[in-house]
Amino acid sequence: MKTVAVDLDDTLNDFTQTLETAEFPYDSAYNVAPEKFDTYLEKVRRGESDPNELLSTEYSYFVHKIHAECYRQSQARPGAAEFMQWLRENRWRIVIVTHRDLRRANDVTRQWLRENGMPFDHLFLTLNKLKFCEAWNVRCLVDDHLISLGPQNEPDDVEVFYPIMSKHERLPIQRGRGFRNFDELKQWMPNYDC
Amino acid sequence: MLKEFYGGLPKDRAKVETYEHGFEYLERILASGATLEYGEMSFAGLLHKYKFSKVPEEQMDEFINAHIAKRSNLCLYFGRAENSLFCFNLDNNHKTNNTVLIPEMTLAVELLREILTEAGCEPLVIASGRGYHLWCRLAGAMENERLYQFMVRSMAKALLGLHKKGLDHNKIKANFYPDPRARNVVSLRLFGSVHVKNKVFSRVLTRGGLLEEEESWKAFEEYLSGKTIGLEGFERAARLVGAPT
Repeated sequence: MKTVAVDLDDTLNDFTQTLETAEFPYDSAYNVAPEKFDTYLEKVRRGESDPNELLSTEYSYFVHKIHAECYRQSQARPGAAEFMQWLRENRWRIVIVTHRDLRRANDVTRQWLRENGMPFDHLFLTLNKLKFCEAWNVRCLVDDHLISLGPQNEPDDVEVFYPIMSKHERLPIQRGRGFRNFDELKQWMPNYDC
Repeated sequence: MLKEFYGGLPKDRAKVETYEHGFEYLERILASGATLEYGEMSFAGLLHKYKFSKVPEEQMDEFINAHIAKRSNLCLYFGRAENSLFCFNLDNNHKTNNTVLIPEMTLAVELLREILTEAGCEPLVIASGRGYHLWCRLAGAMENERLYQFMVRSMAKALLGLHKKGLDHNKIKANFYPDPRARNVVSLRLFGSVHVKNKVFSRVLTRGGLLEEEESWKAFEEYLSGKTIGLEGFERAARLVGAPT
């Protein structure tokens, strides 16, 4: 069976755009004082990590809550649903691979995929999708993330396809094939041994 | 013993920690009728975690057998409305070197043990890798909200003791199971497991120190046979720590 691993955030949806532009009204459920809210929100929008030496902090909880809101609000990228349906119609096994903390984001992720008409077989959290593909013998990965497009020492028997974005223009891409739209990808994929 | 101790927890869902992976493995489990909610592959190495639901009894038995044989670790979830087990999960809250035993942890676990024991809810304390699990087993089920309120107040007393000694309570992350705010989200490893990172057996911590594996099983058995808490005893303990009744 042909198998493809497909990333979710910024590949199938517009997560970063949602994070940067969506409105997040103050709510006490964020567990931060009103005067800290805007500062924290700007830090999250800039993608700043917590310099604190501790794992679980007020800020880390805030990041989790804002990201969870983005998971709900994000929009499907044009052609993404049709691409996923095309994979299903052509009998691909589809594995969604994501950085999301699925312990807490499993339900919202499944709901979003269902509501946006995106079929899949399995859902996996992995911080290194190339390593996952190597371990599970998956030969095709669709992913925007720079980790999947960077170092040479990663497994080289995985074909990586990425949606071309401005971040890819700024950095040297060492592997992978960029696509401008999902129709392009549909034309290429049957030619690969996945 | 494991089945009896954890008998109050739902048996239709589980998280399994294992190095087994690949579609052949997954499809073998799914053929039992279980459903994969999600999987997880760790950043380093090939450790995998799978959250399964709709697990049939025979498959759960297989998971328990694999757990005892140390081929994998079994973690169970708590009931949605009520439970006869509750557990404090104390973790070292540092981003790095968090399997190191810090003074805050040493003191917190003993303070909490003392508070619970004095209240009549002696816990079974098990080393978890990043800290300790303090399990309490009741003779019958109790509403999650009541268990949670009891745990929050007991932990607050322990952290106050830490504060009085000039130690920073933020260095410890305390989670409570069951947590009514996070139903069906978090699970806990059963006793008898080997921690996936440091490969250490889940030893029982007594006031005298950590027991070796064989003695830990004996302590587990002793707790099961003699230290289950009656519901009236729990009510008394709840009043003592100031939890709403």
